[in-house]
Amino acid sequence: MGAEGIRVEGLEREFKGGIRAVDGIDLEVAPGEIYGFLGPNGAGKSTTVLMLVTLLPPTGGRATVAGFDVVKQGPQVRRMIGAALQEAALDDFLTGWEHMDLQGGLHGLSRKESRARGGELLERVGLVDAADRKVGGYSGGMKRRLDLALALIHRPRVLFLDEPTTGLDPQSRSALWGEVERLAREEGVTVFLTTQYLEEADVLAGRVGIIDRGRIVAEGTPSALKAEIGRVSLEAIPSRSEDRERLRAALAPFGKPAAHSPRGEAVRLSGGAEQLADVVRALDAARIEVAELQLHQPSLDDVFLEKTGRSLEGSDDSDAEAPEPAAA
Amino acid sequence: MSGSTAQVARAVLRRTTIHTYKNPAIIVPALAFPLVFLVAFAGGLSAVSSVPGFDFAAGYTAFQFVFVFLQMSAFGGIFSGYRLAEDFESGFARRLMVAAPQRLGLIIGYTLAGLVRFALIGVILWVLALATGMQVLGGVLDVLGIVALGALVSAACALWSIGLALRYRTVDIGSFMQTPIFVLLFIAPVYVPLVLLSGWIHSAASINPFTLLLDAARGFITGEPVKVIAAFAAALGILALMWVWATSQLRRAERAVG
Repeated sequence: MGAEGIRVEGLEREFKGGIRAVDGIDLEVAPGEIYGFLGPNGAGKSTTVLMLVTLLPPTGGRATVAGFDVVKQGPQVRRMIGAALQEAALDDFLTGWEHMDLQGGLHGLSRKESRARGGELLERVGLVDAADRKVGGYSGGMKRRLDLALALIHRPRVLFLDEPTTGLDPQSRSALWGEVERLAREEGVTVFLTTQYLEEADVLAGRVGIIDRGRIVAEGTPSALKAEIGRVSLEAIPSRSEDRERLRAALAPFGKPAAHSPRGEAVRLSGGAEQLADVVRALDAARIEVAELQLHQPSLDDVFLEKTGRSLEGSDDSDAEAPEPAAA
Repeated sequence: MSGSTAQVARAVLRRTTIHTYKNPAIIVPALAFPLVFLVAFAGGLSAVSSVPGFDFAAGYTAFQFVFVFLQMSAFGGIFSGYRLAEDFESGFARRLMVAAPQRLGLIIGYTLAGLVRFALIGVILWVLALATGMQVLGGVLDVLGIVALGALVSAACALWSIGLALRYRTVDIGSFMQTPIFVLLFIAPVYVPLVLLSGWIHSAASINPFTLLLDAARGFITGEPVKVIAAFAAALGILALMWVWATSQLRRAERAVG
């Protein structure tokens, strides 16, 4: 594995002030695999992607993409990859077609080839009707879809998608997921997908890696990772918000804290779902009125919580990712 | 080879040309300034030609035109770097950096875009100057000599500004792109020949390489070429120096662009 996919060994990136955004990660992504790279803001996801797409040199370790070294063989890597990075950067004065011409031209496609391939891609992302319009008038979702189409114009073997659905409406998100899945399944494209959305990784990725503070804290298939957690969690939402502290205390004897919604409290039931009746009795004894009580199967957020002691969803580390480089 | 330096340069050039075509307002300043200078200098200062020692056969308008043309060449080139800095600020340059297999093509593409602007504005400037009675005593080869010098100045200034854009990646550096060029241009025999300058300005102008270019170009317009080899050698030398500067800043940006 790794010759045509992605192989990363001890990859590091240190920034000014000794901040290690990526701290010695190892990972492998097989050809045609969709690899989900999960983590909160500032965890090191985007810095990792920037190194793999040759936009930022590592300060340690080694990485190959499609068999080429990201430091020593940058041009070869760039020929083999497509990238849709955060915040689709497009030229507002150019139309969708003109972007296709530009992107195709950068990869050596003739205008005729760019138009043929571009037409196919614009059709696939539902932008044919808008392709003659200046991109300045596109919605955020349209820009994201165009960005994806641009990343594919030269038929890359490896596709990097850095939080591709952030800010998209559910319909656009679902359409994009469908296209990414098709690319891997039908065209054998290797996809490296970073996301903050657990559902996205769960739906799309064959395997996921969870990164926190620059280190990979868990890796495997979503089902295997969740199976490691094993036990169900119980979430209770109090009728009165002022009861949350007492609710937390009442639940504490039943297991470790688990991921929960903003209004609720949750524990991973150490004795499994059979403890439900005991929990209800305990809450009743504590005179805590509960609006909702739910049992949850383990999620990737539970995995993250288990591995890091923090919840991934809603997490927003203030550590700025990819600050000014030290060696610049 | 797909994505060769030439292919990348062509793609960048094409995009910039389309951009200019769709947004022609961006070349207005590049055209307006030389015209204002030409009108102000050639018109308002024409009495300078009566000063004893001023001996320029083609007349004061032609004398000033050469300066204005080279100035336009320089600032037209600088605009390339400004555009690149804008592209860095908007994130578009990141797209180019990740999509272009051969990144040297980016430098060449932005430089060529500067030369296209130079050609466009240069033609307008020549037409307007000739239409308003400017004398050209030199032949076609002499005119080509002026144009060639202008193209070299434009390319060198484009590379200077592209280097700065790659280094700082912000349009805030725009004024620094212009200031040294502005100083270099004006520490030269702008209004009168070198022999009529005195004091520190004479000393500075004597060692200013731009003086060489100006003298050669003025020689061309009068049909009596002077210092041609030295001027082209200086222009090519500066161009080579600026190429080294711009490519070194590309390497630097590659380490930092993130």
